[in-house]
Amino acid sequence: MKLGFYASAAAMALTAGLTAGTAQADGHLKFAPGEGAFSWDSYESLKAQELSGQKVTIIGPWLGPDKELVESVIAYFEEATGAEVEYSGSDSFEQQIVIDTEAGSAPNIAVFPQPGLAADLAAKGLLSPLPDGTADWLRENYAAGDSWVDLGTFEGPDGNDALYGFFYKVDVKSLVWYVPENFEDAGYDVPETMEDLKALSDQIVQDGEVPWCIGLGSGGATGWPATDWVEDMMLRINTPEEYDAWVSNELPFDDPKVIAAIEEFGAFARNDDYVSGGAGAVATTDFRDSPQGLFASPPQCYMHRQASFIPTFFPDGTEVGLDADFFYFPAYAEKDLGKPVLGAGTVWGITKDSEAAQAFMDFLKTPIAHEVWMAQRGFLTPHTGVNTEVYTDPTVAKMNDILLNADTFRFDGSDLMPGAIGAGVFWTGMVDYAGGKDAGEVASSIQSTWDSIK
Amino acid sequence: MEMAGTKSRLTWAVNLTVGFLVLLWIIPTFGLLVSSFRDRDAISTSGWWTALSASEQNAIVRADAPDSAKPDGDAWVITGNVSEGEGGQITAFGITSREPVAFAPGEVATHKRGQQITVEANGDYRITYPEKPSGSRGQRLFVRAEAPPSFTLDNYREVLFAEGMGKALLNTLTVTIPATIIPILVAAFAAYALAWMEMPGRALLIAGVVGLLVVPLQVAFIPLLKLHNNIGIGKGYLGIWLAHTGFGLPLAVFLLRNYMVGLPGEIIESARVDGASDFAIFRKIILPLSFPALASFAIFQFLWVWNDLLVAKVFLGTGEDQAVMTGRIVDLLGSRGGDWEILAASAFVSIAVPIAVFFSLQRYLVRGLLAGSVKGG
Repeated sequence: MKLGFYASAAAMALTAGLTAGTAQADGHLKFAPGEGAFSWDSYESLKAQELSGQKVTIIGPWLGPDKELVESVIAYFEEATGAEVEYSGSDSFEQQIVIDTEAGSAPNIAVFPQPGLAADLAAKGLLSPLPDGTADWLRENYAAGDSWVDLGTFEGPDGNDALYGFFYKVDVKSLVWYVPENFEDAGYDVPETMEDLKALSDQIVQDGEVPWCIGLGSGGATGWPATDWVEDMMLRINTPEEYDAWVSNELPFDDPKVIAAIEEFGAFARNDDYVSGGAGAVATTDFRDSPQGLFASPPQCYMHRQASFIPTFFPDGTEVGLDADFFYFPAYAEKDLGKPVLGAGTVWGITKDSEAAQAFMDFLKTPIAHEVWMAQRGFLTPHTGVNTEVYTDPTVAKMNDILLNADTFRFDGSDLMPGAIGAGVFWTGMVDYAGGKDAGEVASSIQSTWDSIK
Repeated sequence: MEMAGTKSRLTWAVNLTVGFLVLLWIIPTFGLLVSSFRDRDAISTSGWWTALSASEQNAIVRADAPDSAKPDGDAWVITGNVSEGEGGQITAFGITSREPVAFAPGEVATHKRGQQITVEANGDYRITYPEKPSGSRGQRLFVRAEAPPSFTLDNYREVLFAEGMGKALLNTLTVTIPATIIPILVAAFAAYALAWMEMPGRALLIAGVVGLLVVPLQVAFIPLLKLHNNIGIGKGYLGIWLAHTGFGLPLAVFLLRNYMVGLPGEIIESARVDGASDFAIFRKIILPLSFPALASFAIFQFLWVWNDLLVAKVFLGTGEDQAVMTGRIVDLLGSRGGDWEILAASAFVSIAVPIAVFFSLQRYLVRGLLAGSVKGG
């Protein structure tokens, strides 16, 4: 989906607020080298490179507090190598990067919130392949390294596949948010299976309350939260192989298996009793406002399925882990599909090659580049060489557990589909579906669009 | 036809319609103004129209941590105030999320863990534990309170004193002023030529200019930036001035030409007879007479450039030093753009300069709006 970066922001304990990361502005390092559980040897080894006077420009989707976080990581590269790095964020990153690369004023490195756009640029020859050996490095140092290599490998202008994208910063999407004290007051337990989750939803309805808050509104991207629901449901009723086939359209969109997944989503979103405001409110409620119902008095809903970034939109002063918490969006016990996890991530690619840009991509491989962000907030990584002791936020560590306990990890499917589908008719189709249109009809109209762009 | 000077019987209908339209336009603006003084939680939980009067609101308040309980006889007690002295009257309270308004102020509620809780109408609460409690999370208290209207200046403070806002304002002015003056200069010459200088293909040229009005500027971004890069302008002020000039010219030429063509030809003829050159006619006759049209186009162009974000991002660059005001405001909204309160406040901050420009030039705007559309009057 276009707004993949919603997912890239990740869980923030809001009490940390805007204060974290502000110390970065004057170029001082966030954590003094040599102190704490960081892998400082990887920082020291960076100093072997002398890049004084060289400049790296990076453009990405992060603004505001997120920008301060990424700059706090970049500062270590600048300090160690002497290179100057200029990061700039843009709210219209998707358009900007296309204009800049096509017109020949590309930054050195671009941070893509979704791999689909990076693949487009690679096919036009606007991305430089990553240096030889990067793929091997990923296989050795990233958990499930092969899948990260596959996700970052695109077809180049010559038609040959090459590794263009490097994943740095991963997010988990299969989370259900709730207020533990409300569960306690009502005597509800966190469900372990999808059957339990549905039983709990029914129980809440019987008690005269409303189990879910669901909102699909997101301006021009309205509908994307529903694609995450459907993807999660795909992984819970079909095999990972079928999920992959669906993403590549080998399994047509209007296959009964896909329609079943859409209807699984409908079992929640189109049930008037299940959703705060009734099913009619689902498509019109803004996704940023939808979690507010959890914190109302009396609660307007008890659960909210959303990715790890959503605490940003919780009321001021909400402490994640205490005032609000999350549990894994469970799988069916009877289906024997293990514990699938849906996720997303940002992919970094070189849009204008230079010695310093290559050095920066190498820097992203060092444990320290991951640990500095981990030690602040909202950063998950598949890098196996990092010291997880640096996590200061227990909720992030808990998310990492969900990631590690996963039997299957799959990337957000709509991010991998062609833009016209994953950031187009899939969104609008889901809005139609939430509005009452038949699942089969929606699915076949999405499939016919897909056929037309092949 | 009504006689001039007599009032139409439909005047009241006209007045009503105008009043209705004015209201239609003002209500959203007023709502935005009210929202700009509210905090984020208030905006996301209730509409702006509820902000103007006192309302009954349910709130969840956390009492002090059990760790801070003080011994009182053989019990342990925590006392405090749910509104910390600033809230209104409490009309009901509760101790579980299921029954948030189960008790009237002053009643004693017994928690299932044994502690007794009471909240007074003025917000004072008292929790009595039979044994020494522990834990750092306070008991949740649910209260219904009469909340007075509450407004804050924090949003404006955040926008006005944001880091880099001063620099961004300077950048915006650096972009806007030349990007308003240059197209006027060019367009005034072109409009005079197209209106009063006989030349072959003049009608085609005018048709071409009108045709350019409908070309969306987005299609020009990549080729234009490519051109700038190739001829060495790159990204910078010169580039954005040229871009805005180009994007503004079709409308400017069209508007000014239509105005100038309506000027009385006799004056120009007699000036020619007296031996004035085209340049002298332009400078001494046309320019002073065209002032309303020039001013109204200046307003259009100024507003458009002032509010522009996209062209600035493409042609000026995205770095911190090149950020214009709109870019800086977008930055404040964060990666996910959910901060309506900042958006509302910044709308009123960024509107200040255009409003000043508008009011200083507005008497020309009405005359200029009619430029070219009413002939022979």
